[in-house]
Amino acid sequence: MSPQFVDLNGDGKLDIVAGTFDGSPHVAYATDKGWKQPEQIVDRNGARIMANDFWNFETKKWDSTNLCDPEGVRVESGSQVTSAVAFDWEGDGDLDLLLGDHKNGYVYLRRNEGSATRPAFAVRNEQVQAGSKPMKVPGTVATMRLVDWNRDGLTDLACGSMGDSYGQLEGGGVFVYGNSGTKQLPVFGEPLVLLRPSMKTSKEGPTRPDSGLYMDFGDADGDGDLDLLVGAYSHWSVEGPPLTAQQKVRVKDLKEQLAAVQTESAKLNEALGFIVTGLDEEAAAKKREELLATQKEARLALNKRRLELQEELDPMEGGPKRDSFVWIYENQSPPAPAKPSESR
Amino acid sequence: MKLVVPMLLASAVTGAAFSNSTAQAQTGPAIPTFAQPARLKAGETFLGGKRLFPSPVFHDIDGDGLQDIVVGDLKGRLTVALRKPGKGPAAYAAETNLMSVDGKEIDFHNW
Repeated sequence: MSPQFVDLNGDGKLDIVAGTFDGSPHVAYATDKGWKQPEQIVDRNGARIMANDFWNFETKKWDSTNLCDPEGVRVESGSQVTSAVAFDWEGDGDLDLLLGDHKNGYVYLRRNEGSATRPAFAVRNEQVQAGSKPMKVPGTVATMRLVDWNRDGLTDLACGSMGDSYGQLEGGGVFVYGNSGTKQLPVFGEPLVLLRPSMKTSKEGPTRPDSGLYMDFGDADGDGDLDLLVGAYSHWSVEGPPLTAQQKVRVKDLKEQLAAVQTESAKLNEALGFIVTGLDEEAAAKKREELLATQKEARLALNKRRLELQEELDPMEGGPKRDSFVWIYENQSPPAPAKPSESR
Repeated sequence: MKLVVPMLLASAVTGAAFSNSTAQAQTGPAIPTFAQPARLKAGETFLGGKRLFPSPVFHDIDGDGLQDIVVGDLKGRLTVALRKPGKGPAAYAAETNLMSVDGKEIDFHNW
């Protein structure tokens, strides 16, 4: 999830809008005393906003739907929206929603058919275009931010992409889709590449954000331009240090213990599958929940043990490494000459 | 210490007020020159360290005119690193949890 501070209901207070991995956008409404706990943003009929794949809170399983597909458009299956930003798409004074697809890289528009103070979102998504094609962010969408990148008075769309967050394949990048339309009709083209997708070649520890790039823009150093803030995983590889005979024995022992933890975890998962065999969905969900409750302590203990073992093993082992950080890219470009906003 | 946040009023320009993520941009040229990236610290530890998919956003959370950093993550939790006043490179205090009016951590629903 990537938070956006924005006044979604037009009451003069900044709410927090965010997509989450469950496949829907959420909002934490602001009050005079602070933020309420988040709730799902729903459409004009009170139905959940999503694309295809979503976590079904009733069945407690992953699910899929075509109910929100754009009218008359055959969507590549499996779109899952995990990011959202509120944006006045057609310049009518109320906030619409842009939804980012974590699986295929598409960006969808959910129009606000209500008002600034009483949002009523459409029941279907519209596909946002880049040029003559649907916008498809390379590496799929991690996050979206709104920025007037070229100072023409129009809001451009910046996207950070996921890339391969777990393995050694290409990582994510940062792209800006320039808006060459008007305030009433945004038109996006090919993106400007701010950060090229990473190839994860570092052997010297973390050197850059590599995958799962969630960025924002701000003047961090007070010099009047926009710096780039990026949260992400860094990937690097290390050669293992030379080990003593005693350390080699310890490495073998740690690996055996890790394998045993893995086996115990697999048994717990197996029990979950076994206990629901032959049950209908409702009964299966209930049983699964009951068993998970009884397994909770065991699962926590196994996870704790796994982390302890891994922490001891890591310094003695070479191979790929991954950790999360927040990075700042200071903008060192010379100041651009002032350019008046166009009135469109 | 956990942070309970004072509410900030949005500017009432169009009813579509944003935090600086919508930056009324003061950007440079279209293709900027960025310095080599640097990892930010919050207090003594790396900001966003050990978080699942950390997602930062600049936001002045305490209304002191400085851009703090709020970091979300896959689990749906938010932390705040307050920008320390002073000149020189930006420095941030240790992360604290962003709290709801119910006194609990703000928790975006997840699967």
